[in-house]
Amino acid sequence: MEEFKELFQDRFESQDELLREYKSFLSVLEQLDQTTVPELSSSQKAKIFKRSWQGRPQESSWILTWLYFFRKPAVAFALGIAIGCIFMSVVTSDRLDLVETASADQLLTVENTRYAQTYKGKIIDEFYPEFENPKIVLEKGEDSAQPQRALYGTLDNGEIYVVWNL
Amino acid sequence: MNRQYPVSDEALIKAIKKGDRNAAAWLYNRHVDRVHRICYRIVLDTSQVQDCVQEVWLKVFRNIDRFQCNKSFAAWLNTVTANTAIDYYRKWIRHDNHVGSDEIRTVVTDANPGERKLDGAFIQKRIREALENISVNQRTAFILRYFEDLPIAEIAETLGCSEGAVRTHIRRSLLALRTKLAGKLIL
Repeated sequence: MEEFKELFQDRFESQDELLREYKSFLSVLEQLDQTTVPELSSSQKAKIFKRSWQGRPQESSWILTWLYFFRKPAVAFALGIAIGCIFMSVVTSDRLDLVETASADQLLTVENTRYAQTYKGKIIDEFYPEFENPKIVLEKGEDSAQPQRALYGTLDNGEIYVVWNL
Repeated sequence: MNRQYPVSDEALIKAIKKGDRNAAAWLYNRHVDRVHRICYRIVLDTSQVQDCVQEVWLKVFRNIDRFQCNKSFAAWLNTVTANTAIDYYRKWIRHDNHVGSDEIRTVVTDANPGERKLDGAFIQKRIREALENISVNQRTAFILRYFEDLPIAEIAETLGCSEGAVRTHIRRSLLALRTKLAGKLIL
C-alpha cells in the first residue's frame, strides 16, 4: 500500500479514490501471483552449463594476468604518462644535431667526382689542427698529367680562406 | 544472500578465475533458476528462453575476471541477466518480425470480462499478452520489482537509469496490466 501511494501519489485527489484504485490493482496483483514459470529440466540445465563453460575464453593465464593488470585505471594512467613522456622527448629532441655529431665523428670520408677526390674527416682535422674545416682535394688532370693536391680550409672563424698546394 | 550457503559466491568466483569447473557448476546451479525466471518473464517465449539463459551464462563466464569480489555477485548477475534478456528480446523481435510493439498501447478489453471463466492457463495467457504490450524496459523494471523483489535503487543501477525513471516504468506497467487484466481503460 505504501509503495502504491508512492507510485501514484500525484494521480488521485482523495484518499478514498486512492484506496479504491488500490483495490482494483490488488486483483491484478493476485492474478500475477498465479503466474508460474516452467522450470528447466536437469538435462537442459546441464546442457546450458556445458556450452557456457566451453564458450569462455581459453587464453593462457599469463595473457589474462597482463590484460587484467593493464585494465586497472591507475596502471593504465601511469603507462599513458610514461609513453607520452617518451614520445615527447623523441619529438622535441634535436635530431639534426645527432646526425651532425655522428657525421663529424667519422674518421675519413671520401667524395668522388669526375675530376676530383675530396678527403675530409677527423683524421684530416687532426692532421691540420691550425685550419678550420680542412679538406684535401685531389684534382685529376689529363691521363698523362700528375694529379694536383691542395688543402682547402679557413682561418679566423672563416675570415681567411686558405688554398695550400701540397 | 551468501550466508545461507557454506561456500560464498566470492570464494567460488575466485576458484572459477583459476579455471575450477566444479566451482563454476556450483555457482551456476545456485543462480540458474533465478536467471531463467527473469529471462522467461522478459523474453516471454518458451522457445527462446533457453538460448537467452545460455547467453547470460556465456557472458558471466567470459567476464568473470572483470567481476570485483567486493561487490555483490547477485546484483552483478541481475544486471547481466536483465540487460542480456532485453537485448535478446529486441534482437529476436527484429529478426522474427514479431507481431507486437515495444511501445505502450492502450488495450480495449472485453465488454464483460467477468463472464469468462478465468482458469489458470487463460490467466497466464492474458498476463503474457499484457506483459507483451509494455515496453521491454518497463517490463524489466516491473519484473525485477514485483517478481524478484529488488529494491528500486538496485533496479535503477541494473537498468542504468534514475530511481524516478524506474518508478515511472513500474507505474506504467501496472496501469497497462490493469487495463489488460481488469478490463478498464485507464491509459
